[in-house]
Amino acid sequence: MKVTGESASCGEGPCLGPELCPLSKVRAGTSVRIKQLTSSPEISHRLREMGFCEDQQVRLVSHQHNVICQVCNMRLGISSQLADSILVEPLRRSPVPA
Amino acid sequence: MSTPNPAATPSGSPPAAAPGGPLYVALTGNPNCGKTTVFNALTGLRAKVGNYAGVTVERKEGQLKNAPAATPITILDLPGTYSLSPKSLDEQISRDVLFHRLPDVPPPALVVVVVDASNLERNLYYATQVLELGYPTLVALNMMDVAAENGHEIDLVGLAARLGVPVLPLVASAHEGIDALRAAILRTVPALAQTPVAARNFCALPPLFTRAVGDLAARLDTLFPHHRTATPPEALLLLTDDQALLSAGAHYPAEIRTAVEQSRAQLTAAGLDWRTSAIEARYARLGEIHAATVHETAPEGITFSDRLDGLLTHKIWGLLIFVVLMALMFQSIFTFAKIPMDFLSAVVDGIGAHVGSLMAEGPLNDLLVNGVIKGVGAVVIFLPQILLLFLFISLLEDTGYMSRAAFLMDRMMSRVGLHGKSFIPMLSSFACAIPGIMATRTIESPKDRLVTILVAPLMSCSARLPVYTVLIAACIPDIHVLGFFKLTGLTMLAMYLLGIVVALLMAWLFKSTLLKGATPILIMELPPYKRPVLYITLRHMWDRSKLFLRRAGTVILGINILLWALATYPKDPTLAEKSFRDRNAVIQEAFPTITSPADLALKLAALQAPPPADAPPAATNSVETAVREKLELIDREEQGSKLRHSFAGRLGRLIEPAIAPLGFDWKMGIGIVASFAAREVFVSTMSVVYNIGDFDKSDTATSSLAKELQAQRHADGTPVYTTLVAVSLMVFYVFALQCVSTVAVVRRETNSWKWPLFQWAYMGALAWLLAFLTYQGGRLLGLG
Repeated sequence: MKVTGESASCGEGPCLGPELCPLSKVRAGTSVRIKQLTSSPEISHRLREMGFCEDQQVRLVSHQHNVICQVCNMRLGISSQLADSILVEPLRRSPVPA
Repeated sequence: MSTPNPAATPSGSPPAAAPGGPLYVALTGNPNCGKTTVFNALTGLRAKVGNYAGVTVERKEGQLKNAPAATPITILDLPGTYSLSPKSLDEQISRDVLFHRLPDVPPPALVVVVVDASNLERNLYYATQVLELGYPTLVALNMMDVAAENGHEIDLVGLAARLGVPVLPLVASAHEGIDALRAAILRTVPALAQTPVAARNFCALPPLFTRAVGDLAARLDTLFPHHRTATPPEALLLLTDDQALLSAGAHYPAEIRTAVEQSRAQLTAAGLDWRTSAIEARYARLGEIHAATVHETAPEGITFSDRLDGLLTHKIWGLLIFVVLMALMFQSIFTFAKIPMDFLSAVVDGIGAHVGSLMAEGPLNDLLVNGVIKGVGAVVIFLPQILLLFLFISLLEDTGYMSRAAFLMDRMMSRVGLHGKSFIPMLSSFACAIPGIMATRTIESPKDRLVTILVAPLMSCSARLPVYTVLIAACIPDIHVLGFFKLTGLTMLAMYLLGIVVALLMAWLFKSTLLKGATPILIMELPPYKRPVLYITLRHMWDRSKLFLRRAGTVILGINILLWALATYPKDPTLAEKSFRDRNAVIQEAFPTITSPADLALKLAALQAPPPADAPPAATNSVETAVREKLELIDREEQGSKLRHSFAGRLGRLIEPAIAPLGFDWKMGIGIVASFAAREVFVSTMSVVYNIGDFDKSDTATSSLAKELQAQRHADGTPVYTTLVAVSLMVFYVFALQCVSTVAVVRRETNSWKWPLFQWAYMGALAWLLAFLTYQGGRLLGLG
């Protein structure tokens, strides 16, 4: 994990609670932990099977309209609509060593 | 949509293949794990290797190379799948083969699970599901090189011990480890008959859940006593997957359905989530296996791939790069292919002239030279362009860019109600609609799949390339625009863009009327960027060229012979006599001193031969020049009358009223009718139509046909092929579904005649309407 001094948080928009926000609001380059999948059971099932499950740590590689996440050595492209339904907890990074 | 009927083969079918028949070895794994490369290496049958999710959509099988003759072994390449809970037709086929529910596929005797070593945890999810089925299984750990590059050190012995089956390391793309895998398969096979169904379990569930699985498994054992797979994993799937019962048709009796519902209710009452528990338990176990067997040596950081993904999927830069790539692709197809095409054209003409001179004049000579050599040659000279097109498509796939393009295009596709995944079949259809339509099997929603099938042939395929090329060469001025780009190349690009835009509009129309449905949600794996392997790319180009040439040698040859006959017969003997009289009259008028028939024939031969090359222009006097022109006019009239009199001419004139508003004459009508079998037939038809009995006139230059088209004149002397007519004709070819193979494939994929006929009709209507608008609109603007 690349270590920077910047504290990770939701990029913009309203967050659901102090630590929880939709994946679609996270800045590119941030690592987050998945807390809850709120999409339909079928889609959540597939996401989980692909390793995109609760408590899994993922990194947001790119965030344009849709987002690209790195999940255990796999790169997954997901639509912004789906990213809205994935609630994550941004991981605080430790400060850069002097 | 063909949903295999599981009831057709009950689970109690007798074990393995018939005695003496081949043993089936199923090759299975996640998409993008290199399974197809392993298949190619094992069988020596080099099937297509691509990089985007779901390239393996056909049932692909091949004989294991170097297997003993007494026990032939067939390797079956199953479609890539993420789990045994299928989300698409492709995945459903994989599951049904493993549960031996397909009547025409024997149950596998051995399963080889291909696992991507660089993405072990996710790949093991499916691998352990398959292992639990209890088949004799080998794990092929592929892409060991990528894993090492990414800093994953894997303890193979530890992994094999934890999985309970042999684990064989591979780098299939470099052929490393293939011999060991083959040896392992051959070693395992003799003992198969004695191998019992193994009990393996990678899901440590809460006791209540385990009990529910056990109860259901016991029921399955009673119902299907000849089970070839272990029953607990089947019971687990039934309990945890919403779709497992629904997608199994009538396979399970009501008793099982009730039991499943009761168990689920009990689990829910106990506070257990039956949907997620098994997935979580499996990933927990995989996490342990991963931690114990993989040592990470390189810390994670921003990689080159990250930066590339950031750029290539950027909403502005990514789109710009995509458009520039496409423009370069078509520009180079047009530019670089020119030299080899000139060469091929000269060769074809040379062969024609040679064969023509070897034989006495007559119908056979005419058939060989004008029907066979010219017709087939007219198509074959486009081989360089086809090769280049497939080179580019292959590179886009093999580097991993194709799936980025699909991801980038998802935004646009979702506006018309489709998934980014629908973009891949559409892009493949630029090469050929057939693989494109077959690639739709990875699309989860049946409605979206159907919409994609309906619009995919609107992408300009390689068979349109010859048509566009000839018409552009004949009618579009070769001038530079915007400095670098040529108008010819831009016209080509415009035809491709036209297809894309209308395809999107039609998709939107279908999704909002006939095939209404919610816009699907994008979940798409983006495979790692890869350097394309030269031999795979060349192999792909070679395979496609073989198909193209085979088509030229069979379908197109057949159509050409038929067409030659239609354009030659019935003959009208009075026509030749009339021309003979006309020619003699012209000569006698110019040279009143010549009277005897022998002298007339000599003079005619002298005038019809080209003037001596060393003679100064002054030597050919003006009288002779005028006579030559008159004679040429008679020749052309004679050809025109012959064609008009022939069956083809009558057919052309029959449909002329329907196509006249589009700017087409009856000769083009012949080309259009003939090319309803295959589009590229248009160029060969035009060669036959315009060169009847007129071989020697053809130029040695590239596009003798293009020159021939330029030379065509109406009775009033105006050119037949104006820029507007050519554009209108190209627009017609963009939209009309002139391909028998596509119709057949759509029939197969949709399992009905309704959809291919609908598609044929709507595309035909579009072709007529848009060509009409182009031609009439152009005329209103004063362009024609």
